[in-house]
Amino acid sequence: MTDKTLLAIENVSISLPPGADRPFAIEGVSLTVNRNEIVCLVGESGSGKSMTAHAILRLLPDRTGVAQGSISFNGNDIAKADEPTMRKLRGGAISMIFQEPLSALNPLARVGQQIAESIITHTKPAPSREAVDARVQELIRGVGLPDPVALARSFPFQLSGGQRQRIMIAMAMANNPALLLADEPTTALDVTTQKQILALVKKLQAERGMGVLLITHDFGVVADVADRVVVMRNGRVVEQGTVDEVLRNPKDDYTKSLIAAVPGARSLTRGDRKITGEPLLDAVGLNKTFITKQGMFLPPRRTDAVQNISLGLKARETVAIVGESGSGKSTLGRLIMRLIEPDTGSVHFGGKDLLSQRGERLRQMRRKIQIVFQDPFAALDPRQKVGDAIAGGPIAYGTPAKEAMADAKRLLARVGLQESAASRYPHEFSGGQRQRICIARALALKPSVLVADEAVSALDVSVQAQVLQLLAELREEMNLAMIFITHDLRVAAEIADRIVVMRRGEIVEQGETQMIFQNPSDAYTRALLDAIPGRAMFAGPGARQAEAASA
Amino acid sequence: MMSTLKSFLRHPTGMIGLFVLLAVVILAVSAPWLFPDDPWDMVGAPFQPPLSEGLWLGSDMLGRDVAAGIAHGARISLIIGVISTLTSLVIGVTIGATAGYFGGKVDEVMMRITELFQTIPGFILAILLVATLGPKISNVIFAIGIVSWPPLARLTRAEFMRLRGREFVQAAVCQGQRPLTVVLRRILPNAISPIIVTGSLAVASAILIESALSFMGLGDPNLMSWGFMIGAARTVIRQAWWMSVFPGLAILLTVLAINLVGEGLNDTLNPRISRKR
Repeated sequence: MTDKTLLAIENVSISLPPGADRPFAIEGVSLTVNRNEIVCLVGESGSGKSMTAHAILRLLPDRTGVAQGSISFNGNDIAKADEPTMRKLRGGAISMIFQEPLSALNPLARVGQQIAESIITHTKPAPSREAVDARVQELIRGVGLPDPVALARSFPFQLSGGQRQRIMIAMAMANNPALLLADEPTTALDVTTQKQILALVKKLQAERGMGVLLITHDFGVVADVADRVVVMRNGRVVEQGTVDEVLRNPKDDYTKSLIAAVPGARSLTRGDRKITGEPLLDAVGLNKTFITKQGMFLPPRRTDAVQNISLGLKARETVAIVGESGSGKSTLGRLIMRLIEPDTGSVHFGGKDLLSQRGERLRQMRRKIQIVFQDPFAALDPRQKVGDAIAGGPIAYGTPAKEAMADAKRLLARVGLQESAASRYPHEFSGGQRQRICIARALALKPSVLVADEAVSALDVSVQAQVLQLLAELREEMNLAMIFITHDLRVAAEIADRIVVMRRGEIVEQGETQMIFQNPSDAYTRALLDAIPGRAMFAGPGARQAEAASA
Repeated sequence: MMSTLKSFLRHPTGMIGLFVLLAVVILAVSAPWLFPDDPWDMVGAPFQPPLSEGLWLGSDMLGRDVAAGIAHGARISLIIGVISTLTSLVIGVTIGATAGYFGGKVDEVMMRITELFQTIPGFILAILLVATLGPKISNVIFAIGIVSWPPLARLTRAEFMRLRGREFVQAAVCQGQRPLTVVLRRILPNAISPIIVTGSLAVASAILIESALSFMGLGDPNLMSWGFMIGAARTVIRQAWWMSVFPGLAILLTVLAINLVGEGLNDTLNPRISRKR
């Protein structure tokens, strides 16, 4: 048994500095990772899952530290090992990959150089340059990237998110680690890229017999790759077991709620919503090309963000625009909001031409179309009180300040916050609460169209489910038509009447939600559907097959 | 705001600067009581070295009290430093904000104008303006304001361009807030920190320009100033060092103090540095 166990964390607690919201970041956490298996560590933000992984390599923030417990790796206790020993382990026998590959790579060094560095650091005596170069290229090829020679010479900014994460993985593989710590490695990526990266991690793990500790908040990912699952909440392990035990027969209520929160598991749009009539918002033939200058001697780069897109939105209808990053879906949303001007095309709203409005007339039109942005941290002015942010819109249209503030408080209560929130600043709220504030701000003007630009993408799954539920309720109460921009088909499935799939600025397919899911006609839509994490476990008929196979 | 103040109070060099600056301000405010006589009056024999009878810092070649000159000169230097910086802030922030917020053609025009001013050597333009308009304190302030706004405009423009695309600003536009409200209530408060820092450093350079103008005899002839004292004493520097050294030290200390305060503000208002404290 012991030679199977690679990493054993026993009863570890990490103390937080005084003044934090709890005395320990993690408390009495025990878990093991065996050779040749993937253990998923699941929890919401703030559950201490990242702290646990960072504690293994002793990469904890200042003024926090392992207060008690032991961490043994290959039978040696590394909780009390000295710094040189730890340095040898980091990137050697234990490597780590991070959530955001762009910030984890040095922007000023070529990626080949960065991979080479991790080889040279851990190899004594230093290998020859040719040997290092050959090894770098082998590693780059090993993570499924084409043309390793050219790729080794590129800088991080020249690569896509998926390519960067592959480079990070290549770097982590450089010294044949026995244990890989992956901290939300796919959270910043598109579903299709996520699928590829997860497949890559799984392949490398199987080839090398590595132990992998994969941190995620998404049970879909767990269902796809994990052998065993550890669920954490508020710094404690609430449940662990094999993936089948935990997913099919969760014992803890919190685990149950997390699994239930996986989007796509239920539909918020039930029955016929009786949407008929003329489109309220009608966009025809929209085009937008971004031209970036590349310096004096290079031709300017053209990006056709939106190409000849037509989109109709009826009153009370919810249309989801689904696509990967760079598909132009956000640009389309901003064109409709008139935050950017299209090159050609027209947008009619309630029969009036939206694009020809100027000045005061445009301002009057704006109140009918409101937007909720993706990042609730960037979407609120850090220096403006929440109540003022919500009441600001109605006041700008002439509502007396007192009345607007009373309305703002009512709205705050409606979106599930306390009325006293009105006199506080945004930084006092969590991400989910801020997104509720943003929704209240958008609805304060009683719009008839709400554009939700990745409005739930930055939130934890359980919070995501609550916010989606809130949006579904509010659209009935306020007769809202919604344009719901998302990269996640599961989310779209829950809320949308109709789904529009975009790729490289063009619409590849559109239709009723049911139809897209059951009978996709375009290959790209099918690829997106296949890439949904945990599809076998959570979505539709596939689940039964998986069950039959495992039985 | 309180936390900013607290972290400034813990900034050692910033506090040194603040103390020196406060001393200069107190000297300037209390000059009429410390030296009730006109600093242009002869109060003793000419060429008296420092620590002579009744003359702490000696007298100049016409028997005027150097100490009185420095105290009264502090008033002029500080007034000119602050008001001309305010002038350049008004010009620079207005132009930078308009260019950064509206972008496109407006930005092009505004930036070409800014570049025009940046390519003309600032000090020569100031000399030209004062020489043409006449050596009055208001003209000196105007001239200094005119030559020192371009960096502020560039900085404001950059901050506005950065914030213009931020989601909370776009949200305010979608909320139907008028452009002026968006600029003054949403963008400016979030852009103000670096502008304050640069502005505080501009006070120091304004004092230097004023001193240089007065040194060349282009200061207001009715007002005693440090630059004038050095300029007047330069011909006798080998016989009477104190006439130019003391006003020179006054300029050095004041400018240094303002720079230290500016650095301190930079460290405390910059979230990335101040969080480490």
